[in-house]
Amino acid sequence: MALIDQVSAAARVPDAPGANPISKIEISGVSKTFRLKQDVIAALDRVDVSINRGEFVCIVGPSGCGKTTLLRILAGLEKPSSGEVRIKRETPHAPLNSMVFQESSVFPWMTVRDNVSYGLKLRKVPAAQIRETVDHFLKLTGLLPFSDAYPHQLSGGMKQRASVARAFANDPEILLMDEPFAALDEQNKILLQEELLRLWSETRKTVLFITHSIDEALVLSDRVFVMSQRPGRITADIRVTFPRPRGVLALKGTAEFGRLNREIWTLLKNEVVGA
Amino acid sequence: MSIEAVDSVSVIVPEDEKPSVLKRLLYSSSLMRVVSPIAILLLWELLVRTHVLDARFVPAPSSVISSLVEMTASGEVFTHLASTIMRVVIGFSLGAFFGVALGLLLGLSSVLRTLIQPLLAAIYPIPKIALFPLVMIMFGIGETSKYVIVALAVFFQVFFSTLAGVVNIDKTYLDVASNFRASLWQSYRTVAFPGALPYIFTGLQLGLGMALITVVIAENFGTRYGVGFIVWRSYQVFEVADMFVGLILIAVLGYLAQLALLAIEKRVVPWKGSGG
Repeated sequence: MALIDQVSAAARVPDAPGANPISKIEISGVSKTFRLKQDVIAALDRVDVSINRGEFVCIVGPSGCGKTTLLRILAGLEKPSSGEVRIKRETPHAPLNSMVFQESSVFPWMTVRDNVSYGLKLRKVPAAQIRETVDHFLKLTGLLPFSDAYPHQLSGGMKQRASVARAFANDPEILLMDEPFAALDEQNKILLQEELLRLWSETRKTVLFITHSIDEALVLSDRVFVMSQRPGRITADIRVTFPRPRGVLALKGTAEFGRLNREIWTLLKNEVVGA
Repeated sequence: MSIEAVDSVSVIVPEDEKPSVLKRLLYSSSLMRVVSPIAILLLWELLVRTHVLDARFVPAPSSVISSLVEMTASGEVFTHLASTIMRVVIGFSLGAFFGVALGLLLGLSSVLRTLIQPLLAAIYPIPKIALFPLVMIMFGIGETSKYVIVALAVFFQVFFSTLAGVVNIDKTYLDVASNFRASLWQSYRTVAFPGALPYIFTGLQLGLGMALITVVIAENFGTRYGVGFIVWRSYQVFEVADMFVGLILIAVLGYLAQLALLAIEKRVVPWKGSGG
């Protein structure tokens, strides 16, 4: 068991820049239609993308374009109407994915510690190991002093920290985030973005992050996918090559940031106005 | 700011103009809470003694108290209380257990809901005590039929509250459970049950009320013990003071049970009041 752990830990070491990227998520020809009484609504239309291991990918798009649907398909909460999704498994015992939801999704009936332990407890990980892992992520998110508090005693930012910590502590193959910071105020948003970058640089998970904020996408990601109006297709795949580690505020002041922001905004505006 | 507005907030009285003693006493709520029932009892006693109220129908508080003292001294009160408490505890536990279990089961399964809920919804409006003759035919006139009828009364309250609790759980929490690959049993244990707990406790409070109503009526049949029996016997022998003793005992029993339930709720649902 210990041996397997070591091997899998080695397999998770991030690729050195320039090394052959390993394709982690393959989405091919994924479409999704919903039936709403008599109407058939097409939410996604033949989405084709490939995401490499350790990449941080953000998806931006007009509201109602099917971003969340795509993420829910990856999370296994919905089935595609056609097409397929392949996620490369590297650690046999690790869960496939963990999702951070848009609205407050930490269980109000569990303490912060129990919330963050949730995935590990369900998988019956030994208690000592749970304690160690959970302590680590509580510390990284600044939640350790609140570990015995219930969510209603916490601010919105703290609740989302707990939600992010819960997903990371579960140690999944990929992380899915559905506008996790959308409901937060600007200061909290920046703080949590920086914390997320720190968590990510430590674990180098493959992340798919949905946002409606172009700034947020540029600050966080290696690639930004722009989605069209419904039925959603991916219309642009923009590489973001700012050096890491990134400082959120410093980055926003650079000329390149402004240029990329305008470029994506133009693409989005065409989608919204053109519809 | 108009003069009227100033007048309407002038309840705040300046230091040197103290309100009259009477006014201060009337505003003291803790004092009034003790004084008002005593005043009512005194008035009641007075009205009976002056024959304004008929002592045959409304006995004076003094004669009720002397009946209570008499029955307590002979130990009779405790025998009756023990019988009633036993019936309520057993019936309530049975009803609550099946109510919670079935409520959780139907709450998470729309198939079972479609199959079973119409039947239960059809039985629900029947006053459960109307089923007591049937229950006595099936379970005899002894203790079992009393447990069953109390359990039935409690079951429906708890079942429908639990069901509503599970159905009203924010769908996101169930998504989280399924995203974290919770098994069906794990979803029940970690989401459905704790999520429905505030509703379950509402159901238990309502069920407790139903249990007391039902037990008192049921104790008219096939028993010589119980607080309900005191009430029915005094009706037959026209001992209205004894009847009031029975009524007081039920009131106290219900009140204490409710306090106990609230205390348990505080321990089990420490996160309540979070609003989701």
